[in-house]
Amino acid sequence: MNPIREHDLLMTRRQLFGKSALGIGTVALHQLLRGAGIGASMFAGLDAFGQGGSQGKRHGGLPGLPNFTPKAKRVIVLFMNGGPSQMDLWDYKPKMNDEYDKDLPEHIRNGQRLTTMTSGQARFPICPSRYKFEKHDNGGDGVWVSELLPHTSAMVKELCVVKSMWTEAINHDPAVTYIQTGSQLPGRPSMGAWVSYGLGSMNEDLPAYVVLHSKVTSGKVDQALFSRLWGTGFLPSEHQGVALRSSGDPVLYLNDPHGVDRKTRRQMLDDLAKLNNNQLNEFGDPEIAARISQYEMAYRMQTSVPDLMDTSKEPDSIFEMYGKPSREAGTFAANCLLARRLAERGVSYIQIWHRGWDQHGNLTGDLPSQCMDVDQACAALLKDLKQKGMLDDTLVVWGGEFGRTVYCQGPLTRENYGRDHHPRAFTMWMAGGGVKPGTVYGQTDDYGYNIVDKEGNVINPSVDEVTPGAVHIHDLNATILHQLGVDHTKLTYRYQGRDFRITDVHGHVIKDLIQ
Amino acid sequence: MISKLRFVWLAGIPLSIGVISGVAATPITPLKKPIVQAQRKIDFNREIRPILSESCWKCHGPDEAINAKTGGVRLDSFAGATKVVDGMAPIAPKNSKDSLLVQRVSEKEAALRMPPVDSGLKALTSEQIALLKQWIDQGAEYRAHWAFVAPKVVALPKVKDENWIRNPIDRFVLSKLEQEGLKPESEANPRVLIRRVALTLTGLPPTVQEIQKYVQDSAPGAYVRMVDRYLASPFYGQNQARFWLDAVRYGDTHGLHIDNERAIYPYRDWVVRAANEDLPFDKFTLWQFAGDLMPNPTLEMKIATAYIRMNVTTNEGGAIEEEVLTKNTFDRVDTTSTVYLGLTAGCAKCHDHKFDPISQKDYYGLFAFFNSTKDAPLDGNLFAPEPAIKAPNPAQLKSLADYQNKLALLASQVKIDEAKSWIATNRVAQPAVSKWEVSQAFPGKNFDEIYDTEYSPEKQGATDVIWKPLALELDKNILVVLREVACAYVRGTISLDANAKVTFRLGSDDAIKMWIDGKLSHANKAQRGVDQATDTVDVELTAGSHDVLFKIINNGGPDGLRVGIGDQRSLRIDTTFRRVQAGEGEDQLREVFLELGPDSKSGKEYKDVKKKQVDLDAQIPLCLVAEELPKPRQAYVLRRGEYDLRTTPVGRSIPTVFGKLPSDAPKDRLGFAQWLVAKNNPLVSRVFVNRIWQQHFGIGLVETAEDFGNQGEWPSHPELLDYLAVKFVKEGWSMKKLNKLILSSAAFRQATTSSVEKRTKDPKNRLIWRGPRFRLDAEVLRDQALYVSGLLNIADSGKGFKPYQPTGIWEALGFLESNTSRYVQDKGSEIYRRSLYLFWKRTSPHPMMLSFDAPMRESCSVRRSRTNTPLQALVTMNEPTFVESARVFAERLLKFKADDKVRLAKLFEICLSRPASDSELNILQKSLAFYQKDFQRPGVSFDILAAGDSKLDPTLPKPKLAAYTMIVSTLFNTDEFLTQH
Repeated sequence: MNPIREHDLLMTRRQLFGKSALGIGTVALHQLLRGAGIGASMFAGLDAFGQGGSQGKRHGGLPGLPNFTPKAKRVIVLFMNGGPSQMDLWDYKPKMNDEYDKDLPEHIRNGQRLTTMTSGQARFPICPSRYKFEKHDNGGDGVWVSELLPHTSAMVKELCVVKSMWTEAINHDPAVTYIQTGSQLPGRPSMGAWVSYGLGSMNEDLPAYVVLHSKVTSGKVDQALFSRLWGTGFLPSEHQGVALRSSGDPVLYLNDPHGVDRKTRRQMLDDLAKLNNNQLNEFGDPEIAARISQYEMAYRMQTSVPDLMDTSKEPDSIFEMYGKPSREAGTFAANCLLARRLAERGVSYIQIWHRGWDQHGNLTGDLPSQCMDVDQACAALLKDLKQKGMLDDTLVVWGGEFGRTVYCQGPLTRENYGRDHHPRAFTMWMAGGGVKPGTVYGQTDDYGYNIVDKEGNVINPSVDEVTPGAVHIHDLNATILHQLGVDHTKLTYRYQGRDFRITDVHGHVIKDLIQ
Repeated sequence: MISKLRFVWLAGIPLSIGVISGVAATPITPLKKPIVQAQRKIDFNREIRPILSESCWKCHGPDEAINAKTGGVRLDSFAGATKVVDGMAPIAPKNSKDSLLVQRVSEKEAALRMPPVDSGLKALTSEQIALLKQWIDQGAEYRAHWAFVAPKVVALPKVKDENWIRNPIDRFVLSKLEQEGLKPESEANPRVLIRRVALTLTGLPPTVQEIQKYVQDSAPGAYVRMVDRYLASPFYGQNQARFWLDAVRYGDTHGLHIDNERAIYPYRDWVVRAANEDLPFDKFTLWQFAGDLMPNPTLEMKIATAYIRMNVTTNEGGAIEEEVLTKNTFDRVDTTSTVYLGLTAGCAKCHDHKFDPISQKDYYGLFAFFNSTKDAPLDGNLFAPEPAIKAPNPAQLKSLADYQNKLALLASQVKIDEAKSWIATNRVAQPAVSKWEVSQAFPGKNFDEIYDTEYSPEKQGATDVIWKPLALELDKNILVVLREVACAYVRGTISLDANAKVTFRLGSDDAIKMWIDGKLSHANKAQRGVDQATDTVDVELTAGSHDVLFKIINNGGPDGLRVGIGDQRSLRIDTTFRRVQAGEGEDQLREVFLELGPDSKSGKEYKDVKKKQVDLDAQIPLCLVAEELPKPRQAYVLRRGEYDLRTTPVGRSIPTVFGKLPSDAPKDRLGFAQWLVAKNNPLVSRVFVNRIWQQHFGIGLVETAEDFGNQGEWPSHPELLDYLAVKFVKEGWSMKKLNKLILSSAAFRQATTSSVEKRTKDPKNRLIWRGPRFRLDAEVLRDQALYVSGLLNIADSGKGFKPYQPTGIWEALGFLESNTSRYVQDKGSEIYRRSLYLFWKRTSPHPMMLSFDAPMRESCSVRRSRTNTPLQALVTMNEPTFVESARVFAERLLKFKADDKVRLAKLFEICLSRPASDSELNILQKSLAFYQKDFQRPGVSFDILAAGDSKLDPTLPKPKLAAYTMIVSTLFNTDEFLTQH
């Protein structure tokens, strides 16, 4: 063998490819690329040595990760944007019925800053939930759930309900940016981008991080979303969340124009490979080889994505389980079904957004419709994952960016009321992926205002240290990463001379939440 | 022993504060591992500083708070490191054996070793320890961090191959290559060179004519002449501006929450002009920071201050003003620090910087320069939150002046006596309006309730109303309530000479009520914008004075009121008459006479010009600008960076490591900017020339263009960086001269061929052994396809445009009330403008831009990532602009009277700036035949010809056109087309 060629073979895969393509007919190039596992992870880590072959193994990602054996292979986040009212859904406060329209005691508020939407209010009248709660058997102490969530409440044996979530941010934009990127100011990578960067992809034909937007039946989407919430900040842009769309091209620009069929596109890509290969031979730049392989992956995506989106072969029983709206593309229910299909195909981080949870007023008019949109589908997703044997290694997370106040914003009646933002205590739940099923973690005082310990003493949690009983949003993110086998302090990226991470300089794994 | 014990204890302190370095950190590797040789003098900055910064300073460095917890041992200065504590100093100069530092880092037992295991920092390698020892034995000399010492020019290095040298840059490059035993690549061929120069300077490829001109120019200096041509091109400024707009996070929307449109594009156009006119970088800087504070600021200087306003802003319901002010100011300081100083000052907002000598106090000293502008912290979701100015571009300015001169000339020709007698006979007395007043705002629970509630101004004799004078001009919109959900009252007096029917014309945002002399005469519970509708109310009034009272009820967002009385023509004539009566207003009379007087030739001309003037005036854009509050806001050190945790008050100051502002310097943004561009500023010129280098070579001399601090990367060619920095300043901060210098070097002119040996040794080409090669930026890719196909619209300024965008992208995100929640594509030639002029919605930029690594522009970015993904392949294959460009190009080819082979050769040359080889042409020819047959399938669809808005020529045969479109698209997707090389 020519010594230079021999030397090449010891080099990186991309460089190996660059030269070994020399003697091979370019018509077979795409097969060669696939077989060689070049850039086998399509979105992550072209430099890394991909494993090639089937889904399940990770491609790309960082050496040394995962740091330990993961409990969860993938995460599905069900994000209720706007701040769902924990008082009306999960955090049962029966004593409030006697406090109707009485002022929130000053010692309960305890200096908590308020948004300027209610800081000018003359008084803070208590506003009991008008919904009935029932205690459901979760295999342990039981859990109270509102009548608005009949399907989810049937699944509480699977849930780890956290009633003591907290954050510092009190307005939507900073709060949702905070929980998704670890900073209230724009510019940092999102959680999913970190996962893609750190762990790479389990499917060479799909992105590691997929985002799904849901239709909201009420149409009242009064809070905005921002691309930064699934963006990459300073991480390479290949890690940004890819939105799968319910109308038009499922992935932007995926579909060839009608008339350009597979054979036509193949011809074009073969030409392209030949022309590019000439350049590669002349200049030896490994980026050219990478580019050839990216075009081949795009070609494969053109069939793998439609296959993913095509739910027509799902049995009727599945649609019945997710509910009627699951047959309509773009609903939360349809997205939950899609999330299961994505999970099956090895997508690591799946995020479903549902908007419209910002009930400053007319809560009882709007909240039932919001719950109708999501309740059955959430439950179905858990059942579906379970029956497919995937719940054990799929972590499902439900919640919003903060909670809502026990006191009323705007006019108060027994029947209707509104609630302002409340960052100091709110509820989320997790299921599967190695979290403790059938548990409730943390509690709040009788007003649902402060996190308290088992004896009812107020806990003033600090972001700097573990505060037993309280879960900061950084702790949540640290715990999610932990379930993926990642030490959140070790998944870092150096930018501007500093090693950044999703949890900034905070975050602790909350061991009590996990098995 | 004692000190050992102490260290053991210290090692147990959990490091909950600070950044933890982990496996994923991108290591900062020196280009070449320093080799430990006994005789060699150790270079502190290059070899020791990185070790200390990476492994020690996090706890034993400038952060005093942490330092106090770690025994007061400081290793960031000679004095600190040689201080004896408990009988032993960390460093005993010339005596590594007795240096505690050496002992501690080489400890065998992990529990005793520094850095502590739980710090997340790695133990030092034996090589590092050997270096430390050697350095200590040589005297442990500390030197200031290179980037904090003003750049100096050293003697130009000697090289062996003098023939290769084209300018001094090459000496620095070649001497390094020679040291490393590498040879540069030979010069690229002329076609490659012109393509490279055209793309790097203008963001567009050369035309065939431009190529011919250059290739045929055989006289000496042809290359430099070619560079000069592109430097003189108007496209140069457009391309140069892109990099600056990334850095300053330019966007056409506020960037947070509702993300409404904002008035700021005149700034973008100014940046383009500044580059084209080669405005020196020091002026470019002074104007942006402090144009408003310069003596007699020009329009351009004021527009430049939009830099200060570029931070993202919000008006989210519930936001706390002081908190938002603090965040806005952080954004300004952090951006300035990155863009100008290459420093990560942001670290010091919560605590002293851990690696660089910037204390928390220093940070808030900088903060104090930027926290006192007049703009309200909350933007009101307004298009032009004050202060904003009308910002005509130079062409508009000229037209305005021309119109004004013409009008003045015509007015001067009016015979004043004729005008006076005309007005006296034509005047009809109109109601006179006395001074207007406005009440305070009355907030309430909701719109309905506020509408119904009778607040004090509606009640007789209420004393708790605070009336303030209001500058209400008839028929002009004003803001009244300035609160989200509230009402306010406006009152005035109207007087008549005789009984008359008076017509009120009212616009309001939202609802309005009107009382005359306490009697409700109009009510409209509308929810509308002030210009949306006009209520006409006729009232019979008697001679004498009458009280008028308006109530404006606003249901969120901006509010407003517009009042008109009588018919405007009569009102104007009457007002003018009264003024002339009072012995003033002759000029006004001349205008009124021409506009409203008897028909005449000059009157018609006057009206025509006036209409043009008014129409043009309406087109003149507004631009946000910075203005300083009369009295600065007091700044404080904020504990943990929290707006409500104020500690020590601080004044305006630069970080102490850089000394102080001169005593005669103004203590404001101007003084700060003067310091930035002062000759002794060590960072600004280096940081900027490094970014220009990065633009042309794809990678900076300092790879971490955003960080020149201790954690930043050691420059690949420190002396070259300094040479360029000094030269840049010396030659009057000329960006064009700097560009020309770099492009004229032999280093830049190398071919991009590479051998395995060189690639293995230096895969990133940091030693510059070949020419630059990297994927083109998103904007260039789009512009290039439009340009070669002949579709590009070269309009050079104006409002951001909206090209094709898949449906639903904004809609899936947007806030319903936002004026950017619905994407409405522009029509006609607008959509073919250069990408620089894309309407940039900061919470959702164009997906094509994001696919190709453009930043969001919500925060500052001085270096883009450059990825290579399948999503990008889908864009260039199927995005409508690319498909349409391919089709339009194909139409041109088909109309070109020649055979296929000639057409294909032409296509190839236009796209790739070089003739196709026979084999390449062969590939295209074969495929053309294949596609022509392919598109004759029965029932085949020609959707490929339907992409885009431009009209399809129906006379061309569709299968052939489709086939050509596929071929053009193939070339658009070649690596050669997508790459700067």
